[in-house]
Amino acid sequence: MDAERTDLYGERMIEVDEKDLIRCPVCEAVNIDRGRDNRCRRCGSPIYRYTHFKTEKSWAYLITAIIAYVPANLYPMLVTTQFGKTEESTIVGGIIVMWESGSYPIAAVIFFASILVPIMKFLILVYLLINVKYPMGKDKKINKHKLYYMTEVVGPWSMIDVFVVAILAALIHMHNVEIIAGTAATAFALSVFFTLLAAQAFDESLIKENH
Amino acid sequence: MAFRYLIYLVTIIAMKLENEDALDHLIICDQCRTLHEEIPIEDGTKACCIKCGNVLYRYDSRLTDHGLALSLTALIFFAVANFFPIVQIEMLGNEQFITIPMTFLSLFENGFYFVGLMCAVVLFLFPLAIFALLVLLFLLLKLKKGEELSRSLLIGLSFMKPWSMNDIFLISILVALVKLIGYAQIHMGIAFWALVVFVLLDIYMTKHIHLKDIWMLREQIFMEKE
Repeated sequence: MDAERTDLYGERMIEVDEKDLIRCPVCEAVNIDRGRDNRCRRCGSPIYRYTHFKTEKSWAYLITAIIAYVPANLYPMLVTTQFGKTEESTIVGGIIVMWESGSYPIAAVIFFASILVPIMKFLILVYLLINVKYPMGKDKKINKHKLYYMTEVVGPWSMIDVFVVAILAALIHMHNVEIIAGTAATAFALSVFFTLLAAQAFDESLIKENH
Repeated sequence: MAFRYLIYLVTIIAMKLENEDALDHLIICDQCRTLHEEIPIEDGTKACCIKCGNVLYRYDSRLTDHGLALSLTALIFFAVANFFPIVQIEMLGNEQFITIPMTFLSLFENGFYFVGLMCAVVLFLFPLAIFALLVLLFLLLKLKKGEELSRSLLIGLSFMKPWSMNDIFLISILVALVKLIGYAQIHMGIAFWALVVFVLLDIYMTKHIHLKDIWMLREQIFMEKE
């Protein structure tokens, strides 16, 4: 840094190590890590760094999300009543029907949003949470900050299926044909909600690049 | 002992600071955590991370005016998008249309309270609150008033930002309509185009006006005042 300027003042300096500088998660100001009770200089929000419960909150949200994801796939997402005949379709069932009827792009979008994104997000978060506590030696090449950033950006896109169901349910309720949402919609929305919370609760500053 | 010695070896990159305010000239990349020193840049340009190329900050001398204009426009388009029908379909002789509030209200009617509440929050309440607060915030910064209020507004904004999902909703509309092709005749409503404009404005603003730029501007304004 400014070597000349700092030398003039001598003793009034605060000596900081680059590793002790942390970023406020709310306003992104740079702060000095003071251990237990960090408060951001600029916005005053606490920057929690509990020494003992670093990852537990994130684990709790993540496990809830994974549990909610099971009924989301077992129960019907969409209940269609057509001339008195009721048909129920799950997420996977809906994708298969779409694929067979030839709408490949839609099948791909739904597959990406409701299967690939949530599962990838679970795997990445589990990997990061384990890695933070028990660093593995062989993964130096993976940029974990980038990985985390990706889950944050792609995560909300799994809401597509819930929105589609909401739109169809609102749009189609005539006396012959009616679509209503199924139980899976609630389970899936809960799952997405808790994955988003898990990603937010994850303390990024725990990631240490080991190179 | 050996452990401690190791730490000393690593921490050679120590730096000296006059006081904590000197930290304002430092910036940490939000994608790769590289530490940077902030330098003055030309009007209308941006500073990028040397390691990953991510935008660190921008300098816009008329940020308040631009921000105010954009958020007011977005608010107007948001109002249009919510009051008018998004799509209208004709199916088996029936006509039906939906507006954005209808999508989550119908979920409430069918007893899906959690999904309904979540949709109401991410599609209506938070986007509305975000742009209303942005208008208020830029007005405060323009009048150079409300140091405490603008701080709370910024904190509120950064909590709400990840929970606004209108762009995803737009794609969902298209997916839902493609599913209906062949069964029904579809007419796009005026609110659909308003929503497109709103989403484009939203994307432009998230890309070009970072909250950290507003924090920097706020600090600069209230420091000058003192």
